[in-house]
Amino acid sequence: MIENRRFGNLPAHLVLIVGVLNVAFPVYLAIIGSTHTAETIANGQLPLWPGDQLVENYRRALFVGTTRTTRALVATMLFNSFVVALAIALGKIAISLLSAFAIVYFRFPFRNTAFWVIFLTLMVPVEVRIYPTYAIAANLNLLDTYTGLAVPLIASATATLLFRQFFMTVPDELVEAAQIDAAGPMRFFRDILLPLSRTNIAALFVILFIYGWNQYLWPLLITTRDDMQTIVIGIKKIVATHDALTEWQLAMATAVLAMLPPVAVVIFMQKLFVKGLIETEK
Amino acid sequence: MADVELTDVKKTYPGGFTAVHGVSFAVPDGGFCVLVGPSGCGKSTLLRMIAGLETITAGDIRIGERVVNQLEPTERDIAMVFQNYALYPHMSVYDNMAYGLRNLKTPKSEIEARVAEAAQILELDPALLLRKPRQLSGGQRQRVAMGRAIVRKPKAFLFDEPLSNLDAKLRVQMRIEIRRLQRRLQTTTIYVTHDQVEAMTLADMLVVLNAGRIEQIGAPLELYERPATLFVAGFLGSPPMNFLKGTLESPAMVRLEDGRELACNAAHAALPRGAKVVAGTRPERAVVRPAGEGLPMKIELIEELGVGRLLHGQLAGSPVTVAIAPDQQLAATETIGVTIPAEAVHLFDAESGKRL
Repeated sequence: MIENRRFGNLPAHLVLIVGVLNVAFPVYLAIIGSTHTAETIANGQLPLWPGDQLVENYRRALFVGTTRTTRALVATMLFNSFVVALAIALGKIAISLLSAFAIVYFRFPFRNTAFWVIFLTLMVPVEVRIYPTYAIAANLNLLDTYTGLAVPLIASATATLLFRQFFMTVPDELVEAAQIDAAGPMRFFRDILLPLSRTNIAALFVILFIYGWNQYLWPLLITTRDDMQTIVIGIKKIVATHDALTEWQLAMATAVLAMLPPVAVVIFMQKLFVKGLIETEK
Repeated sequence: MADVELTDVKKTYPGGFTAVHGVSFAVPDGGFCVLVGPSGCGKSTLLRMIAGLETITAGDIRIGERVVNQLEPTERDIAMVFQNYALYPHMSVYDNMAYGLRNLKTPKSEIEARVAEAAQILELDPALLLRKPRQLSGGQRQRVAMGRAIVRKPKAFLFDEPLSNLDAKLRVQMRIEIRRLQRRLQTTTIYVTHDQVEAMTLADMLVVLNAGRIEQIGAPLELYERPATLFVAGFLGSPPMNFLKGTLESPAMVRLEDGRELACNAAHAALPRGAKVVAGTRPERAVVRPAGEGLPMKIELIEELGVGRLLHGQLAGSPVTVAIAPDQQLAATETIGVTIPAEAVHLFDAESGKRL
């Protein structure tokens, strides 16, 4: 398409740059804030240039904790978040792969009913069933455990649907060839279906890891001990202090640290993801 | 190696549709049997039943000594080549061929030897063995699919329209290779195709299917020269046989619809005088004469094939095709004369379509 535009791409670029600044500036401020002393920020005059407290602030956030609110260390909370997000992502993928496999490749009574029941749970998010879920978790003594943090969030209709759609695009002849090649159902699943789903698994892992990492309501309910908190809860607790000055420099450092793992996952998995996009031919 | 025998095999789908109505035939050990017919005739269903990918509603399938009706595909000891090759896209060519053997717990050295042997038979470059299927051309993929069948050393090969996805030139080449391969390995083969040229050239034994029933079984030339029904006569041969409608005037003469006479061999079952018949004749058996001699044929189109010419036109109210040699001179007239030798006329009952 040839367009005769007087100012070239200038207006479009301006709009995009404003958009980028809009998103990036608060992040920049958080990073800057995490390099100054508490006093500088408390003055209400946050400089736009980095200060000299970077190492000290991050060391305190990670290994010492705040002075006035004796909360868990960021290192502990990062570890908790990491375990929980990983468990949720892997658990969701494992369960939905198997349920999609069952729905697509096996003929059993009420197969369609099973599919629709899974589909219906899409309409019931965690928040709606939060009380009964909490009651069950409490009765099973799952409060303040990794199991309690992760398991109730694992069942996933979305991922099941996605894998179902993908499995249905796998040619029937592959299944038949595997049958003739003496591969039983589970061997077919392991040797052929799993490798073919690799890129889908990678994409889902990114989405689900971030979903798990950003959970707020459920970890807030299920944890009572400070050392079982996730990082998202931790940020909230550092900011909301009673009768004390918020240590903003540590809050900022915590926020920046909380951002890093999801960013790392995206950057690392993107390679796999793009590779999968290039190798499209089935 | 083993023979394969089908006895009154039927297939009815849960919806009530019957795809195969009681089919029986036997393929001798080492034989090359081609199932041919138009789409929807049940040929693929039949092959899938032999493979064990479809259940059998009634009848028996025997491979070698065993009736295999209830056996899983693996236990039947057969290998199948699919139309779209069905290679495992994420595995190398080597792994594609070795996968079945690995699942059968074949020793590693044995797998290596067999894959190497298959690659050599199929003239697959050893460097290709490390590639993924998507890095191969259509013909190479086809070979890998055959390699996957060969390494198993099965009792029978089953081919499901294996050449349909190739271009015309490659198809002819692979056709010859498949035939050569089968001669060399002497493995019983059942091959499904809708292409009558493929069927004619490959088969020791041709089974023509139509609407889930067998029309005729026999050697390709036998079927070509003595088709048992109008369907077989029209299906085999390219260009197809010409059909002229008429009535039986005497045992050796048919009166065509335009009132002209066509002589035929009298060696057929006696039908009453005046019975409706269809006279069939191969395009290459008709002889072109100057206008005025024989039956008049109005020419509508001439196709130059290089190896000859096809004259398309009308004869006694029916569309006909006449094939002539490239060097044969043709008068520049709209109408020519055509004579058909009596022994080249096939007579069929117009009602039942059966050969007379």
